[in-house]
Amino acid sequence: MIPYLLRLVVKAAVTLFAIVTVTFVATRLSGNPIDTFLGEGLTEEGRQALINYFELDRSLWHQYLAYLRGVLSGEFGLSFVDRRPVTTVVAERLWPSGQLLLASVALTVAVSLPLGVLAAVYRRSWIGSAVMVVAFTGYAVPSFVLAIVMVLTFSYWLNWLPVVGNGTWAHFIMPTIAMSGVLVAALTRFTRNAMLDVLGQDFIRTARAKGLRETRVVLKHGLGNASITVISVIGLQIAGLAAAGSVVVESIFSWPGVGQMLVNAAILRDYPVLQFGVIAVAVAVVAINMLTDIAYALADPRIRLARA
Amino acid sequence: MASLADPILRLRRRTSRKGQGADIIQKIAMVLAVLLVGAALFAPLLTPFDPLQQSLLSRLRPPMGFDRYAPGHFAGTDELGRDVLARSLHGLRLTLALAFAGAVIGLVIGGLLGLIAGLRRGWAEDVIMALVDMQIAIPFTLVALLVLALMGSSLTVLIFVLGIAGWEQYARIVRGEVRRIAAQPYLEAAKTAGAGPVYTAWRHVLPNLVSPLVVQFTLALSNIVILESTLSFLGLGVQPPQPSLGSMVGLGRDYMPTAPWIVLTPAALIVLLTFTVQILGDWLRDRADVRLRER
Amino acid sequence: MFRLMLTTALAALPLAAAAQEITVGAANVTPYVDPGRDHSNVGSQFYYNTFDTLIDRDHTKLAPEWTPGLATSWELIDPTTMELKLREGVKFHNGDEMTADDVVFSLNRMFQATFPPYVVRAKDRFGNFTGAEKVDDYTIRIHAAREEPLWETLVSMQQAMIIPEAYTKALTGDPDVAEDSDFEAFSLAPVGTGPYKIASFQPGEKLVWERFDDFWGEAAPLERATVVQIAETASRVTALKTGEADIITNVAPDQLSLIDKDPNMKTEGSATALFHVMIMNQNHPKLQDPRIRQAMSLAIDRDALNEALWLGKAVVPSTHTMAEMGALHQPDLVTFEYDPERAKALLKEAGYDGFEITYDTAATYYTNGLLAAQAIMEMWAAVGINGRVNVQDQWSGKDPEMMTRNWSNPMYFADPFGSFGVMWAPGGPSESEGRFNTDADYAEKWERFRFSTDVEARKAAYVEVMEEIKQDPPVLPLYRPFESWGMKNAVNWAPMPGHIPYVLDFRAGSISLAGS
Repeated sequence: MIPYLLRLVVKAAVTLFAIVTVTFVATRLSGNPIDTFLGEGLTEEGRQALINYFELDRSLWHQYLAYLRGVLSGEFGLSFVDRRPVTTVVAERLWPSGQLLLASVALTVAVSLPLGVLAAVYRRSWIGSAVMVVAFTGYAVPSFVLAIVMVLTFSYWLNWLPVVGNGTWAHFIMPTIAMSGVLVAALTRFTRNAMLDVLGQDFIRTARAKGLRETRVVLKHGLGNASITVISVIGLQIAGLAAAGSVVVESIFSWPGVGQMLVNAAILRDYPVLQFGVIAVAVAVVAINMLTDIAYALADPRIRLARA
Repeated sequence: MASLADPILRLRRRTSRKGQGADIIQKIAMVLAVLLVGAALFAPLLTPFDPLQQSLLSRLRPPMGFDRYAPGHFAGTDELGRDVLARSLHGLRLTLALAFAGAVIGLVIGGLLGLIAGLRRGWAEDVIMALVDMQIAIPFTLVALLVLALMGSSLTVLIFVLGIAGWEQYARIVRGEVRRIAAQPYLEAAKTAGAGPVYTAWRHVLPNLVSPLVVQFTLALSNIVILESTLSFLGLGVQPPQPSLGSMVGLGRDYMPTAPWIVLTPAALIVLLTFTVQILGDWLRDRADVRLRER
Repeated sequence: MFRLMLTTALAALPLAAAAQEITVGAANVTPYVDPGRDHSNVGSQFYYNTFDTLIDRDHTKLAPEWTPGLATSWELIDPTTMELKLREGVKFHNGDEMTADDVVFSLNRMFQATFPPYVVRAKDRFGNFTGAEKVDDYTIRIHAAREEPLWETLVSMQQAMIIPEAYTKALTGDPDVAEDSDFEAFSLAPVGTGPYKIASFQPGEKLVWERFDDFWGEAAPLERATVVQIAETASRVTALKTGEADIITNVAPDQLSLIDKDPNMKTEGSATALFHVMIMNQNHPKLQDPRIRQAMSLAIDRDALNEALWLGKAVVPSTHTMAEMGALHQPDLVTFEYDPERAKALLKEAGYDGFEITYDTAATYYTNGLLAAQAIMEMWAAVGINGRVNVQDQWSGKDPEMMTRNWSNPMYFADPFGSFGVMWAPGGPSESEGRFNTDADYAEKWERFRFSTDVEARKAAYVEVMEEIKQDPPVLPLYRPFESWGMKNAVNWAPMPGHIPYVLDFRAGSISLAGS
């Protein structure tokens, strides 16, 4: 187990280092931030003064080394735009994004597991087909379409739900649903297939032969075993899917999250914020993946052996 | 995104399924696919209007059957008086073309890298698999957004970004298959008989890859449609005045309360398109599974 | 049940007309608050409630009528020196009392700027001021290099608002020295003398004003005002409808009917003192022939843009002038017009061969900016110009490849110098970005327009400057956009003609809430 863990950690470290470097290079190649966020109507003298002030006059190599030193000592710099430490800027945005992510994953699991089980158990009847059509449709509706249709219906026309920010639980309803649409579709299909896989195995037949009630067979033996694979897919894939959907959802609902911040930072060329934001997201995703890998390995020694 | 397909593929091989033919939903999807591709191909013939032709005097006119309907503009006009139907059909055309281009680029890059990783092993494989890990570590939609925001959006950059999306899926599939096949006794036999690596790849590996790649290609297609729409919705994809389905929804969303038709027509087309491709992809996968299982 | 949800949601928001509290849904919230460093359209919303200038004006009137601000009286003691008597007993939001030291510090941080963001602003508008000096605790003098025709106008600018010296210096490092980091810290924890103090500020997201009880003038009518960013247009309108916001900013003309139709809501708007302009790069290799740029200008039917996109509510100017400029307003001067036939002829003369001309625009920064850009391409096509819109959020004005793009020329203060004069000065922003050329002749005319003490002489010089612009055009003012705010019926507020664009003025007499 120890060598396996070590391997995981080294892999994660290499991935993160590569991401830091690629982000640094990509941002510097894309133009001078002075010309984008303070550039309108600057005199040449003023522009030079600002370039020096933000230390953008040094060589790229110098900037890169300085940045790496900063990263290693936990110093990520100040935002070009509002001059606050980027760690503060990103930290205050991570939690709202995290809340939305957790809410979406919770909703997804709560809806997908029962639907997936239903679809598997009734796979030959109309119930199974209906569930799968719903799942396919869910996958086909992009989150931005779902979001704006909901806003129009539930806020604009019906006046039921608030659209701005994350103040109360009512604010969570539409963003969570908008983010979960695609996830529900994906996880339902996955659960169904995992269930079909498990239900076709010998120990289920044995359980049935022992005369256990069908509900018990399906829920305890079936779902119990299928859930291992289901959990792994939640960790590995769903978090990534949700993080991707968050940019759109955050912008439509003025949600003060990381996705919105990153896109704005990219447009404004606020390099320090952009770099740290990407690193923060990458660390989160890599950490989730690693934990899932470990959990999976603990649950199933075959995997540990196969990979080590 | 399509990485969900991977475990499904694995599981399905052991899952029994009764029929191999298409059921009713799959048949509907096939008809829809023909209609959508036809509409995209023949867009200029289906509507008399130029999708870029403005008419500032007849802006925001509703579709047929509503007050203030401008005759001929069946689906209404947009914020510059352009025909919504013509823009939707041309948008569909552009969206489909971009999705194909992206999926092909992904297939070529991913396929080649996967082949190299599978055949060469050693450091080449390590590097390629590290790239795969990196691609998985950051949600790709986010990467695409940042690249476009930083580089500025042009059609070239957009196609490049769409092509990079999902290459790692092809790479993983190809590498896996290559390794599986390499372990087969008949390949050992061929090697002993003096077959070179290129010949081996061509003669023995490629035929076995066709069906999983076709399945992956189809699934990637719908993911790329959604990616392109999302990017264009956020204003980072296809640039105005050129219509794509996503950019029409994106630019039209300010008009949702006053002129919902600007958004609803392209939005409906996106949903239909991804729905159709998903169903077809799933159907192809089932058929491929059957073949794999029977072998 | 669902009604209940919304009520629960709203209970958490600081929103209740009865308590004299309002929430403003703004398209943009400023990333920092420092009146000296800022001149953006986003920032100008936030300064007047928080800070004061030495000289103020009656904002209900279009023509300048100077009123005492933090100075109670002022006089020119010689042509280059103004002496101002300061108001006594003025308190800053942190409790400090304002003295001449604070005023001299505030002014000299601009006039003798070393902090780079101030240097930029100091050069383009305070260039003629050499410094401020303390005479006694409540008297100061401002010195100019040469005779200044615009004393009151420049002293009443946003960039000349007063901040506390001791507080600012003590923010970081040595409490007796003004370091750059002090100014940076100040912009996140701003303190002024205005009727509202900033109770909390999340850059780019939210700003909360609370009534300042020790304000020297008439008490603020609102207990609390919260400005939250709602970037999406449709979300802003929806927020007004659901009651999440009491006022929303930047309502596009196409959304007006939506709000006006609703019996509980209304809109207020005005043709803002700012031009949306098209700039043309004089130095682009393909655009060096002035005839091509003249044709690009003549091809644009600005009245049609106004009718179609602004419902006729914008104002299309014949030259770079505004009614706010009082005696210097010259509406009869015709510098810019629509003449497609002449455009065609000029293109032919210049030998235009159909090369592509790009027009850069940000996606959403200017109201109707992207729509106007697309419509202009059609108008160009009508005279044979092959145009293409290039959407990018970055500022391309200093890119030598930039051919044309949209921009705005705000009126920073009520004088032609405050609008055209800042942007198109010799050595000013446009020239130093490399897309506008001036020669000694232009500079001489510009100097006469800027510094002549006789109004007629200034007007005559301005006519000459405009003629230069007409002959070798770097800019076309499209229109004064009609900017609108949406609000609940209970809110009694409207933009006032005496302000620079976008100011949210919630001072006494400027806003009231029905039923309070």
